[in-house]
Amino acid sequence: MRRRPGIGGLQKAAAARDQYRLLGENVAKLRTDLMKEQLATFRSQLEEFARKHKNDIRKNPAFRAQFHEMCAKVGVDPLASNKGFWAELLGIGDFYYELGVQIIEVCMLTRSHNGGLISLQELCNHLRQRRKKDREAVTEDDCLRAISKLKVLGSGFEVITVGKKKLVRSVPTELNKDHNQILELAQGQGFVTVEEVQRRHSWTSGRVIDALETLLEEGLAMIDDGHKDGKRRYWFPCVSSVYATSGADT
Amino acid sequence: RFRSKRRPPELYWSLQPVRDTHEKQIQLWKELILDYCKAQKVFLIGVVEDFPLFSNSAIDRTLSHEARETFLSAIVGEGSAEWLDKGHRKCLILWHRIQDWADIILHFVKENGLEDSLMTVEEIRSGTESHGTKLQGIDRTILMRTLKLLENKGKLALFKRTSADDEGVKFSV
Repeated sequence: MRRRPGIGGLQKAAAARDQYRLLGENVAKLRTDLMKEQLATFRSQLEEFARKHKNDIRKNPAFRAQFHEMCAKVGVDPLASNKGFWAELLGIGDFYYELGVQIIEVCMLTRSHNGGLISLQELCNHLRQRRKKDREAVTEDDCLRAISKLKVLGSGFEVITVGKKKLVRSVPTELNKDHNQILELAQGQGFVTVEEVQRRHSWTSGRVIDALETLLEEGLAMIDDGHKDGKRRYWFPCVSSVYATSGADT
Repeated sequence: RFRSKRRPPELYWSLQPVRDTHEKQIQLWKELILDYCKAQKVFLIGVVEDFPLFSNSAIDRTLSHEARETFLSAIVGEGSAEWLDKGHRKCLILWHRIQDWADIILHFVKENGLEDSLMTVEEIRSGTESHGTKLQGIDRTILMRTLKLLENKGKLALFKRTSADDEGVKFSV
């Protein structure tokens, strides 16, 4: 007689599957529990670390950046709340808060010159000048963090990437793709001509001029008719690294 | 030697069409011109003449006539300069206002014990007492205006003996 899976066999198989599933769930739970425990241990060790190295974190930007990376990996945001454990422990909230205030000041002081768009590099230079006496070095990474906190406050700050540079926008001006591409082109020499833009992007001259006019109106560009070739140049202070503004260092 | 951190590069040499940018441009040039004139003791600017500030050979830029007139008119507007002619070709720069010059002269008189003395106008601007002081080399037009102001206030009397003589001043400070 041929052997057939009888009811009993099926029930047995079902029971076995159930058991395996339960086991599987338990294993998963075990793993999660283990992980949670590891994470908790890691967090408390991170807190201990932060406590011990509080000064280094404040004074040393490279160390600070690495600390942030570690925190990110563990899912901790030391800046999440100014009143939180981290802020109190490290005073790190204050550090970024102060930096944020200084960033706003620099942007406002330079706004009439650059139209409300400043390169991250130039912003950092201004900040370093101001903070010289504090001897607390500041990196672009620090600025970006401070700015991301500013964004949460809804102060209209934004970091945009144009080509290889990061620019900090402190006015509500919306830049579209055409504007961005012109800004990117301007990074080469600090200026563009209508001809150059047309050549590079194959736009109609109308389209080029429209975009340039908007950038002029927003105070992001300035005209220069003085070159002997007679072609109008549009200069962009926010991407020019040749020009050091005087506004913030008087 | 006069050096300015705020010397504008290429972007400020053409008159800007956008109002806000234009105003910023005017402000920068006003300050630059006044600072330069004060440092170099320049009292007169000829709009069509060569003026060191109005050209930059390093970047091959020069201010147009219109730009020069615009910036100088702005300084005139705030009372720190005067057009000497209707055609706006010559501009008298008052980096010290006439009242300031008056104070400087009164101070000069006291410092040198000249309270009841007689001096010629030329002596005031180039005599030994004025050597090394703010009064040295002061523009004659400005000096005469200042002396007339002080005369109106009774601080001195202007007189001329013969037409060939330089004008004289009798202080009664």
